[in-house]
Amino acid sequence: MSTRLIGASADSVEAATAPLRALDLPPRPRNRARNGLAIAAFALFTIATCVPAIGGIEVDLGALVRNWSNGSGLLVQLIQPDFSFLPRTLEPILETLQMALVGAAAAALVSVPLTLWAAAPTNPNGVTRHAVRTVINVLRAVPDLVYATVLVAMIGVGALPGLVTLFLFNVGVVVKLVSEAIDSGDHAYMEAGRAAGGSQLQINRATALPQSWPLFANQWLYALELNVRISAILGIVGAGGIGRLLDERRAFYAYDDVAIIVLEILVVVVLIELVSTTLRRRLV
Amino acid sequence: MRSAPQRPEAEVTPSASGSWSIRLDDVSVTYPNGTTALRNVSLDIAPGEMVSIVGLSGSGKSTLIRTINGLVPVTSGTVAVGPHTVNGMRGRRLRSLRGHIGMIFQGFNLADRTDVYRNVLVGRFAHTPIYRSLLGITTAHDRELALRSLDSVGILDKVWTRAGQLSGGQKQRVAIARALTQEPSVMLADEPVASLDPPTAHAVMNDLRRVNAEKGLTVLVNIHLMDLARMYTTRMIGLRDGRLVYDGPAAEAAESDFEQIYGRPIQPDDRLGS
Amino acid sequence: MNARTAPPLPPSRPSRTAASLWAIVVGGVVIAATVGLRIDWSELGDVPGDVLRYSTLMFADPNWERLPRALFEMWRSISMAWIGAILCVIVSIPLGMLAAGNVGPSWVRLPLRVVFAIIRAVPEVIIALLLLTVTGLTPFTGALALGIAGIGTQGKWVYETIESAQEGASEAVRAAGGSTAEVARWALWPAVAPALMSFALYRFEINIRTSAVLGLVGAGGVGSMLANYTNFREWDTVGMLLIVVVVVTMIMDAISGAIRRRITGGPRITEKRSRHVVGIR
Repeated sequence: MSTRLIGASADSVEAATAPLRALDLPPRPRNRARNGLAIAAFALFTIATCVPAIGGIEVDLGALVRNWSNGSGLLVQLIQPDFSFLPRTLEPILETLQMALVGAAAAALVSVPLTLWAAAPTNPNGVTRHAVRTVINVLRAVPDLVYATVLVAMIGVGALPGLVTLFLFNVGVVVKLVSEAIDSGDHAYMEAGRAAGGSQLQINRATALPQSWPLFANQWLYALELNVRISAILGIVGAGGIGRLLDERRAFYAYDDVAIIVLEILVVVVLIELVSTTLRRRLV
Repeated sequence: MRSAPQRPEAEVTPSASGSWSIRLDDVSVTYPNGTTALRNVSLDIAPGEMVSIVGLSGSGKSTLIRTINGLVPVTSGTVAVGPHTVNGMRGRRLRSLRGHIGMIFQGFNLADRTDVYRNVLVGRFAHTPIYRSLLGITTAHDRELALRSLDSVGILDKVWTRAGQLSGGQKQRVAIARALTQEPSVMLADEPVASLDPPTAHAVMNDLRRVNAEKGLTVLVNIHLMDLARMYTTRMIGLRDGRLVYDGPAAEAAESDFEQIYGRPIQPDDRLGS
Repeated sequence: MNARTAPPLPPSRPSRTAASLWAIVVGGVVIAATVGLRIDWSELGDVPGDVLRYSTLMFADPNWERLPRALFEMWRSISMAWIGAILCVIVSIPLGMLAAGNVGPSWVRLPLRVVFAIIRAVPEVIIALLLLTVTGLTPFTGALALGIAGIGTQGKWVYETIESAQEGASEAVRAAGGSTAEVARWALWPAVAPALMSFALYRFEINIRTSAVLGLVGAGGVGSMLANYTNFREWDTVGMLLIVVVVVTMIMDAISGAIRRRITGGPRITEKRSRHVVGIR
């Protein structure tokens, strides 16, 4: 390419009267092969996702159009909420909030020792550290509702499986994010403790814990925000809260009631986020 | 592609013969937030002059230099560059005028994730039809100008490097090359060395002086360091609170003149040293 | 708390009454919420035992005979996630650009931002679920629903990225006489493209999880299979499915994460230092 480029320049040079001067031009690095490969990989993957024979999805616009003419009425209902339904939603939404709060609080308690266990500066023992991290990563790879489904089958319908789901999910989030933050932070402060001959536990208690306090507080609040969203849908698989009512009304195609529930979830989510943002500004 | 006939826009008048004068007549600038950055500034700069604009930050230097290529619109007064009146110009005409005015910045203003070559070709935009620049199609003439500019500031070997990987001094040279690629009639520099270490700062100032000497370009440099202004420019303009408070030969500017421009005693920071 | 070892010298310890009061209030609310929940807390003691018992049923001897079917369904979930991510990105990049300050006019920008905020506030699963009821429960509609449900977050990322792009390069292009389109192409796009691509992949990672959830409510894919076998209480198959979900999700995360790091880190240019001496004016 570089030669062609210079060849092009030379064309105009011939026309010019100025004297020729040697110009050191480094060769242009080419990454056409790599770019081509990336594009090919992207195209292949996309095509493979559209082949029903191997599990890909069948793009069927006709069915979509047919269903749409049946279902569009429901969307019209969605913008006409039936406010008389509101009283019936209060108890489930309260249950949702309770689950969110209790789940987050329980996870907050458990997350502290686990986090210090999973971070390198606070746990020099590589074996236990990696064990905790692996468990946390596995925990996080399972979608929240999948937990809930399995837990409902194990311990029965109700708020308890929902609570356990939230708890597990929160522990995963907090431990992962805070331990990574501790890892990437500056730990000069711990050296002083070590130099003074403190045990790891003493050092953690006296320095690492106060130092990571804002990190924890931040993630606990984040977990609470997430919980409100998740607990709103847990009921879909029978794990308590407003989701159960939502799924029931949806199954009856009562989209005017559904609209109220969605509106309510929206309000609650926004409120919790406002509270959490205010608190975060104070704490951190 | 390379044999494509050159469009009229791609033809550039030789810069040396096209060096332009700059004339500001009673210019004031008030920003939409109410800050007045320039108050009744009048200036007359002849073609081929090398002028420094000295003042503290907030004195209106940056605003002054940006009125010349229309990046900041004037509130009142007139700005004329060469045969053109800048204020009132819009759209295609303003862009084509900007094509004749090179500018370099304190923060280099390169697209860091793009290679040096593409950054320098930005200098040809005003002379290139938009569809071509959007598709990245260049003419042989543009390519040659770009490479020649890079060579003239001594960093041709970095042509395929991403701008973000260069050092500060190298970035500023790419920026100068970008401006030279425009084949400009006027060169503006807004605090070109404020982000550089002393040796690099001197090198960049030297580059600018060479541009002025070899191509006869009118060069306007914003600077807050008194020794650089004295050393590299022939004429100095002092700004304080948006008013013109000094205009004279740079070499003759005394400490007291600088104290008057700064509105305070000279401090060690006001000199770069070497 | 530590009052018994009161130091003999001033200054006295700053008051912590406010902090203690807050701690009591928060504790009180949590306890009230705990008591208020309709949970028979005596069951809580059985939970670890139950989980252990069922975990043994699930993982002691997973039913690998259904692995091919599980992989088939997993691929269906991934397909939903992928197509959903592509749709989401195709829609959110132009919308997000219009919603960015200095790009779109304010009468476009503000309504778009409100729409993004509303879509963000409602959990994605609910949006997808509502759309699925209307469009029918198929993997394709699942992908559509994922695409729409993600627009809120994705659109916000796009406009925040564009707004945080350094102004400098844009100013330089304008100073050289570039038009708005040229500013977008040569100053903004190079600055934001890697971040946008990285966000697109991140959307895919999120969608993999959400698509499994959509399967639970009947959109097909591994979620549907999991829901079925959980209902049949075929625990060994459920165990196998969970293993598949976890392993495949982690693998996809790892691949996608590696690509994202490559993108944001920029391409590695292998520079061959051979020099061509050429003639030029």
